[in-house]
Amino acid sequence: MIEQLVFYSLAAVAVLSALGVVTMKNSVHSALMLGLALAAVAGVFALLGADFLFAGQVLIYVSGIAVLIMFVVMLLGRTYDLHLRQVNNQWLAGLLICGITFSGLWRVIGLFSESRAHSAPVPGTRLLGRLLMSDYALPFELISLILMASLLGAVYFSRSERSQSSSTNP
Amino acid sequence: MTEATPTPPAPKPSPAPAAAKPAPAPKIAMPTPVLNHSAGKLLTTTRYWPTELWANPWASPNYRRGALMLAAIIGGVLLTGAAVGELSRWGDKIYALIGAFVASQGWPQNTAEGAWILLKALIVLHVILINGLWAIWWERKISAHIQSRVGPTYSGGFHGWAQTIFDGIKLLLKEDITPDAADKWVHALAPGIVVAPVVVAFAPVSFGTQLSAANIDIGVLYVFAFAGISVIGIVMAGWASGNKYSLLGGLRAAAQIVSYELPRAFSVVPVLMLAGSLNLEAIALAQAGYWHGLVPRWFLFYPVVGQIAFLIFLIASVAETNRTPFDIPEAESELVSGFHTEYSGMKWSIFFLAEYGYVLLASFLLATFFLGGGAPPLAQLGFIPSWIWMLAKALLMMFIFLWTRWTFPRLRADQLMDFNWKFLLPWSFANIALAGAYLLL
Repeated sequence: MIEQLVFYSLAAVAVLSALGVVTMKNSVHSALMLGLALAAVAGVFALLGADFLFAGQVLIYVSGIAVLIMFVVMLLGRTYDLHLRQVNNQWLAGLLICGITFSGLWRVIGLFSESRAHSAPVPGTRLLGRLLMSDYALPFELISLILMASLLGAVYFSRSERSQSSSTNP
Repeated sequence: MTEATPTPPAPKPSPAPAAAKPAPAPKIAMPTPVLNHSAGKLLTTTRYWPTELWANPWASPNYRRGALMLAAIIGGVLLTGAAVGELSRWGDKIYALIGAFVASQGWPQNTAEGAWILLKALIVLHVILINGLWAIWWERKISAHIQSRVGPTYSGGFHGWAQTIFDGIKLLLKEDITPDAADKWVHALAPGIVVAPVVVAFAPVSFGTQLSAANIDIGVLYVFAFAGISVIGIVMAGWASGNKYSLLGGLRAAAQIVSYELPRAFSVVPVLMLAGSLNLEAIALAQAGYWHGLVPRWFLFYPVVGQIAFLIFLIASVAETNRTPFDIPEAESELVSGFHTEYSGMKWSIFFLAEYGYVLLASFLLATFFLGGGAPPLAQLGFIPSWIWMLAKALLMMFIFLWTRWTFPRLRADQLMDFNWKFLLPWSFANIALAGAYLLL
C-alpha cells in the first residue's frame, strides 16, 4: 500500500512538473521544474530497487544537467527575454502528435501491465560493472565515442566562433 | 585545572599600552571587573580591558564557572557521542522494544519501522545542527589566533563559547527581508534546497565502525549525488535575489561546483578500486590491519596513489564548500557577498548551516576514505571505542579546512578553472591508472 502511495505521489510530481516545464512563462522557472521532474524520476528508480540508476540519475541529471541548463538560461537571458511565449502557431499539429503518441503508449501499457518481474531486484552495482565491461563492452565504448565526438565538436564550434568574433572587432 | 596556569599570554601586551597612553590616568578605584556577567555594566562603567583579570583568570569565580560550563559542554558532547556510539550495541534491543510496544498496541508493524527511521534521522539531524554551533565558534577562535586576535571572549564566560548561540538568537530576531526585485517563491525556497540535501547526504556516513544511520550499498555515489543538489539552491538564490552581484555569485558557484565535482568524484575512484566496494562501511573495514604490525593499512599510506587521491579530494572538497581559497562565488571584495547578499536573518544563517554541514561531511568522508574510519592508528589503542577515533579524525580534517581558509589568498576566477581542468582532473585520471597498476602488481 505504502509503495503504491509513494509511486503515485512521485508520478504526480513528475507529470505535474513536466507540465510546468512547458507551461511556465519564465524560462528559469521551467529549468527548475525540469530539475524537479528529473528528481521525481530518480525517486521512481529508487522505488523500483534500481539503486545505481537512482544515484546516477541524481548525480548526472539533477545536479549536473539541470544546473547547466539553469546556468545557460541565466547567462544568456536578459530579464526581458526570460518571459517567453509558450505556444507557437503550430499548436494544433503538436497536440495531434501528442495525442497519437499517447494513445500508442496507452496500448503498449495495456499489453504489459499484467506482466511481472521474475525475481525481486537485488542491488547489483558490481554485476552492472561486470556486464558493462564484458557483454556490453562494445555498446559502452560506442556511447563513449559518441560523447567524445560531441564534446570535441562543442569545443571546436565555440572556439571557431570566438576567434571569428575577435578578428572582426579588434 | 592547575592553579598556576599562566593563561593567555598573547593578548596581554596590546591592551596595556592602550590603557597607559591616555596620560596619567586618574587612579579611580576600579570595581572588580566582571566578565560578561552583566555586560551592560561592564560597557558603561569600566571601559578598559580586564588585563589584571587575565594575569590570573582562575581567581575569578566567573572564569571558573565558565570553565565548568565548557567542561559540561564537552562532557555533554562526549555523552551524546557515547549515547550514539555505545547505544548502538543495544540498537537491536531498542528496535525490538519499539516493535513490542507497537505490537502490544495493535498498530501495523510499519509504524515501528517508521519510528526507528525517524529516531535515526533525528540523531543525524542533531549532529548537523550541533556541528554548526561548534564549528562556527571554533572557526572564529582559530581565525582570530591565526590573525593574532582573540576572537569571541565574553559570551558564556570561557573563551566565548556561547557566542554562536547568541548569534543564533540574534539571527532569529532579525527582520526577514525579501527584496522588491526578488522572485518571491524561488527566493524563499532557495535556502531550503541548499540545506535539505546535506541532511539527506549524511544517511550513509558512518560515525564509527558499523555505525551509520543507513547501510547503503552504493553509499559513496549516494553521498556525492545528494551533495551535488545544493548547487541548484545556490543558483536559485543568486538568480531570485534580483541583484547583479547575487546573479554573478550564483553563476560562479554553478561553474565552480559543477567543475570541481569531477576531480572530487574521480579522486575517490582509486579508493573504490582498492576497497572493491561503494559501501562506506566496507571501505573503512578494507583498511583494517597493519603493515609490519606498525603502519596502519590506511589508504593514505598507500604509496603515491593514496597521497595524490587524498590531496585532490581535500582540495576539491574545499572548493565544493565555497571556502576561502575558492570562495569566488561570495568574494566580498568583488560581489558584496555573492549569492546570499539579499538574505537576512534565519534564511541567511541556513546557508552557513549548510556550509558547515558540508565541511563536516567532507571531514567524515576524508576520515572514512583515507584514514581508516574508526580504526585506531596503533593496534594497542584498540580499547578506545571506534566512534572516538572517527570523531577525532574528522575533527582533525575539519581543522585543516578551517586552517586553509585563513591561510591562503583567494584565487582568481580563471585561475580557479585552469587549476581544476588542467591540473586536478588530469592528475585524478592519472591516479586511476596508477591504482590500476598497483592492483595488477
